Amino acid sequence: MAEYILFAVAALSVAALGVPFLQYRGRRGSLPGYLLIVALLAALASVILNAATGSTSSAPFGALLASDSLGNLFAILTLFVTLFVAAASLTLIPSGRSSNTPFYYSLLSFAALGMLLISYSVDLLMLFVAWELMSIPTYALAGFQKSKEESNEAAVKYAVLGALSSAIILYAISLTYGLTGTTNIGAAAASLGSQLTDPVAGLAVLLFVVGFGFKMSIVPFHMWAPDAYEGAPTPIAALFAAGTKKAGFVAAIRVVLAISTVYSLTPQGGLFTIPNVLAVLALATMTLGNLAALTQKSMTRLLAYSSIAQAGYILVGFVAYSYGQGNPAFAQQAELGMTGALFHIINHSVMKGAAFLGAGLVILKLGSGSVETFNGLGRRMPVTAFAMAISFLALAGVPPLSGFWSKLLLFTSVLSTPFAWLAVVGVLNSALSMGYYGWVIKRMYLDEPDGETTRVEEPASFAVVLGVLVALIIAFGLFPGPVISFARDAVPALAGH
Amino acid sequence: MSYVLSLLVLIPLLGSGVTFALSSLRGGGRTTSNVAAAFAFATLLVAGYAFFWVYWHTPTLGTYALTEDHPWISLPGFGVDITLGLDGLSAPLVLVSSIVGMLSVLSSRTLIDKREPAYYSLLLLALASVMGAFTSLNLIVFYLFWELTLIPMFFLIGVWGGDRRKYAALKFIIFTFAGSAVMLLGFLALYFGVSTSTFDIPSLAGRIPTGLQYLPLLAVFVGCAVELPVFPFHGWQPDAYEQAPAPVNALLSGILPKFAGYAVIRIALGLFPQAAYQYAWAFIIVAIFSMFYGAVVALLQSDLKRMFAYTSISHMGFVLFGAFATVLSGNPLGIEGAILLMFTHALATGSLFTLSGFVEKQSGTRKIPLLGGMGQRVPLTAALLAVASSAAMGIPPFASFLAELMVISGGISAYTSTAITVLVPVITGGYFLWMLKRVIIDPAPPATDTGKATEDVSRADATVVALYLVPLVLLTVFSFLILSPAAPVAQWTANLIHGGLHA
Repeated sequence: MAEYILFAVAALSVAALGVPFLQYRGRRGSLPGYLLIVALLAALASVILNAATGSTSSAPFGALLASDSLGNLFAILTLFVTLFVAAASLTLIPSGRSSNTPFYYSLLSFAALGMLLISYSVDLLMLFVAWELMSIPTYALAGFQKSKEESNEAAVKYAVLGALSSAIILYAISLTYGLTGTTNIGAAAASLGSQLTDPVAGLAVLLFVVGFGFKMSIVPFHMWAPDAYEGAPTPIAALFAAGTKKAGFVAAIRVVLAISTVYSLTPQGGLFTIPNVLAVLALATMTLGNLAALTQKSMTRLLAYSSIAQAGYILVGFVAYSYGQGNPAFAQQAELGMTGALFHIINHSVMKGAAFLGAGLVILKLGSGSVETFNGLGRRMPVTAFAMAISFLALAGVPPLSGFWSKLLLFTSVLSTPFAWLAVVGVLNSALSMGYYGWVIKRMYLDEPDGETTRVEEPASFAVVLGVLVALIIAFGLFPGPVISFARDAVPALAGH
Repeated sequence: MSYVLSLLVLIPLLGSGVTFALSSLRGGGRTTSNVAAAFAFATLLVAGYAFFWVYWHTPTLGTYALTEDHPWISLPGFGVDITLGLDGLSAPLVLVSSIVGMLSVLSSRTLIDKREPAYYSLLLLALASVMGAFTSLNLIVFYLFWELTLIPMFFLIGVWGGDRRKYAALKFIIFTFAGSAVMLLGFLALYFGVSTSTFDIPSLAGRIPTGLQYLPLLAVFVGCAVELPVFPFHGWQPDAYEQAPAPVNALLSGILPKFAGYAVIRIALGLFPQAAYQYAWAFIIVAIFSMFYGAVVALLQSDLKRMFAYTSISHMGFVLFGAFATVLSGNPLGIEGAILLMFTHALATGSLFTLSGFVEKQSGTRKIPLLGGMGQRVPLTAALLAVASSAAMGIPPFASFLAELMVISGGISAYTSTAITVLVPVITGGYFLWMLKRVIIDPAPPATDTGKATEDVSRADATVVALYLVPLVLLTVFSFLILSPAAPVAQWTANLIHGGLHA
């Protein structure tokens, strides 16, 4: 029933609007954080109930939102991500007398609300409003450490490029409306499909790819990501990698892949098709992400580039899906590819969340985010080091951890299509990525600490957050069946046939 | 359905957890090693039972004994079952792995003296995944266990290894991970190629059209070539073997290359026979080159472990040679010899590396020119080294002799000109004897301290080394224990191309 979604929206709105009042009552400690966690838990519970009751009412709020299983998957995922970001922020964001923690958690709540609404949007205007609701708070969050120069730089860079991408999306929406006379995504996609002769249709699709591509941080729209991830407070970097990035993916699935029945972006057909464009982007994203990660000296930048590379793997599934949209014979591969993509999106949130939060704790406790700081971390911070090692192995695709299965599905899906070369590139990239993941693991466990060797205290609450994430990585690896089915149910039906 | 093969994986896995839990014990090194030894011994017993079961109920051509089937992932369009089974190829490997695992734990008692709980935990985890790899009949599960072995090995080399251990460990993981990733691609390519999409090895056998065999064969071969290793994929190996602690060497050099030998016979030949037949000449050239390359380079080494490492390259070339010779000629002798050689090589090389650990502990070095006079100073160690070297050289009382003879005879039935490979054992004998002369008979160089070390290997440690060597002598007499279950596998593989020719 749509009421569950409404309840989730209400819970987050109350938190977003109510928490700032604590600022004036002088309650600047961790109370705002706990309130947000309660609101997030309530929202998460109601979204899970929505998924469990299996209601697929298509038109709450007019025809703006759809309560479908794709929306449920992303709503659960993004709320879960915000939950662990909020829980980790209790440790990582200083909450003293002079701090502004109420506003921090309020902004976080707004962002969560935006991601929730993006997940369910089936109307271009609704999608855009939700997109801005998610983006604008995160510009402020990126620059939350006002006194840090990098934080300011990150915020400005991210805000400028974010605004640019919003403008591009808006332009694409207006083109689509001009061509089709509707903002409903399904209707617009169907109508665009019959306008193959109009080159503007192809332009609109390309602009959507570019606009969403910024948030997904796919090459060549990734330039903001390493700076923003490094400058922003680490829990916010985790939110970027695990949360808002995924909102970009769901928007792309809803809009670009629905329109991919158009298939060919030019009237004449030929090489300029959606799967071809996506395949080139996937190739560039995987390869550049991994190559750049190999040379990084800062852990957050390394994770940012690794996150870019992972987006490239996810795009491989999109290629299979959009190819299947145009070629009915490949329907099975399309479904497998999208299942793999959704599964990898879930996995990436968990794996990258653990990695970023671990890095955040190291930066907080040891005062530096350079890779040298991680030397001998296995001795100094055993829980954090273990969590990061497991997440790195999973990111590299080592079985039997979660990342292995989703990559396997992704690469398998393109093998019998003309894009088989993408699987080869993907596997070689995975091997390449072991170069930096293994290098960090070597630093943590084989190298001796540089300076002090004393054990550093790891807060119990933080260890619990890391423990939950690590448990999920291992559980999804050993028993991938249920999650894969969950992802499979969320695969949107192929529109073409 | 029996659960013997699951036990083979679960016992060491449980042991890994238990030993790790012991890390809270202060100074519990001895306790931990006892517990680890108990779990390794239990694994050995189950492996022995499984081996003799296969020996007495040798499965008919192309079938498996003690099979298990646990459904794991089943989705429309994608399914992976944990299918386990043993035949005359995997049973000897499972047995020899459990023997090496057991002896490796025992030799660690004197050679490892820091962070024992983590050490034994990783060692048993590696043993568990080795067991999983040899018993699984599903390509994905096989790959999974193969990969899972690399992770504990990385830490075992990197934490407990020699001076350049970190470099060696990173090099090891990057090389082997890349190799196996390529192999995985080959597995994936099969999935959509065959009409019944499956990763199950027995159901794939004979179903793959010849046109689809070439690229997967190449991919699997690259994965195996890194692991064996054969020239030119061996860059990681001398470093890793040199830096690893001696008991880990026994696993690293004794067992890990057998993954590749196993995969060549089970997957490369079993699933892609036509392509393997067409290109067998190329693989045979690679194999023979590798045999000579390893032997000649070993001649030039001044470090005991590096010398043994190159010996290993040479010996694994024999395995590859024997396997492809059978495909070409249809004479099962090649594969039978390869299986026996894998068994004997694991034990011989295990004993050599373990000894190198004891030598280093006594004399403080493994450099051949700095050692010397061991016959006077440490007679027991010297004697063991001489005996272990004879086993590796393939001198008759040891079954290695028989295995090499079978492989070379099998090779001659493919190409007569490959008779030249008889030179390899000659070179091997040459450099081993030269090494023995320098470290045992020649006096130690006067400028070093090594000449003063006179503390001989303890009786317990000597027993461990002897336990590696005893099965080798016994096997010369009781070689039918390995060869009679191996015969149907070799015959089945040969029949894929030469159906009924030699049956």
